[in-house]
Amino acid sequence: MLKKAYIGLLAVAALAAVLAGCGTAPATGAAQGKLVFNTCVPCHGENGGGNARLRAPAIAGLPEWYLVRQLQNFQKDVRGAQRDDMEGHRMRPMARSLYHPGDLEGVAKYVAGLPIVPQAQTMTEGDKAAGETTYTSVCIACHAADGKGMEAVGSPRIAGQADWYLYLQLQKFHSGMRGTHPEDTYGAQMRAMALTLADSTAMKDVVAYIRSIPVK
Amino acid sequence: MLERFIPAAASYSGDVDQLVWLVTILVGFWFIAAEAMFFWLIFRFRKKEGVKAQYITGKEKHLKQWINIPHALVLVFDVFIIIAAIRVWVHIKQTLPPADRTVRVTSQQWAWTFQDPGADDSLDTEDDVFTTDELHVEKDKTYHFKLESKDVLHSFFIPAFRMKQDAVPGRIYTGWFKPTRAGDYDILCAEICGIGHGVMGAKLVVESAEERAAWLAAHAPAVDETATDATATDAASTDATSSDSTSAAAGQQ
Repeated sequence: MLKKAYIGLLAVAALAAVLAGCGTAPATGAAQGKLVFNTCVPCHGENGGGNARLRAPAIAGLPEWYLVRQLQNFQKDVRGAQRDDMEGHRMRPMARSLYHPGDLEGVAKYVAGLPIVPQAQTMTEGDKAAGETTYTSVCIACHAADGKGMEAVGSPRIAGQADWYLYLQLQKFHSGMRGTHPEDTYGAQMRAMALTLADSTAMKDVVAYIRSIPVK
Repeated sequence: MLERFIPAAASYSGDVDQLVWLVTILVGFWFIAAEAMFFWLIFRFRKKEGVKAQYITGKEKHLKQWINIPHALVLVFDVFIIIAAIRVWVHIKQTLPPADRTVRVTSQQWAWTFQDPGADDSLDTEDDVFTTDELHVEKDKTYHFKLESKDVLHSFFIPAFRMKQDAVPGRIYTGWFKPTRAGDYDILCAEICGIGHGVMGAKLVVESAEERAAWLAAHAPAVDETATDATATDAASTDATSSDSTSAAAGQQ
């Protein structure tokens, strides 16, 4: 009798343990993204503010649609697979690690919801006035006067982005390291614009101006 | 038998497998012998009525031989293992047979970049084909590889070749392999190199001469005439510490 009671008790305990395990619903959406974001923290920081020494840009507060597109580009070798793309080579496998359903969308939603992190100035070169001329004649059409970008034309916010990152990306678009993949439609648009900048001086000028745009 | 689990696709894969077997058999023999003796002694001298346990110092000659004889035999077997291991090591690591072709392998967090010499079989010429995370080699040709690292320690590991070589920043290591079996195989990083180490994989394609020629034709470098090198000059002016990351578009994948 006692033995039967003991076995019954064990069965109830085992069932309770199983039910307790099942009771925790898997996270979805931004909650899932917050868990996934732990993968991003070593390079992009806990607040998504980036790390210049690792060449990991600030991602906090970037538009969700832009983050989704870039993560998909990294996953599909549209971005980050080109020769000598040091930073892209680092990011590409990390994007590929988002293979569970909802990981990519969730982390994009979570990162988009993070407050924008002010970026320290790392570049001293560049003529802001000359850059403003370039910006208002070239960049403004897509990235808007306030640098917040336009979803309709697929252009992200650049106001408040780190100067070193803006300069590096202009270099990459200019050299063809970005924007040359056949599937990178928006990148091709940006590359065409980057090619209007004659040299590195012009790039630094426009970066100096973008840095001066207040983040709203 | 190892081939049932991991295909052997290089000329020296079998040598490594034989060495693994030799070590497994010799060490396995002594493991089983030692455990069998251990349990037999426990059983043989188990507690018995009327028998008092003795304290044994092990200094007596007839007792010490239980240690000394197996010890000497293990050392003799070690010599066999060392001789076999050195023969394989010299063959794979210290011998460099003439190359039919040389490829450059560059590791970085967290990707492999390969530079194929192209149709002229000469590295650093215009027809070189650059690929990321995919290496194409021709079956039954001897390859040299120039292994480099751009940032931290990595290790170029091709399980099907039984080949592994560390990549040390600042050094260029020259190694070789001769693929003997067509197919797709894994390339892995075998040195912890950061958070993306586990996903730092690539594909090795061993193919026939015809297949490689077709692949080369499909991946011939396209020269982008709009590209300029104006941006490759002063990346160092930023505060970042990575090496220069810009390059001409020509030859990109």
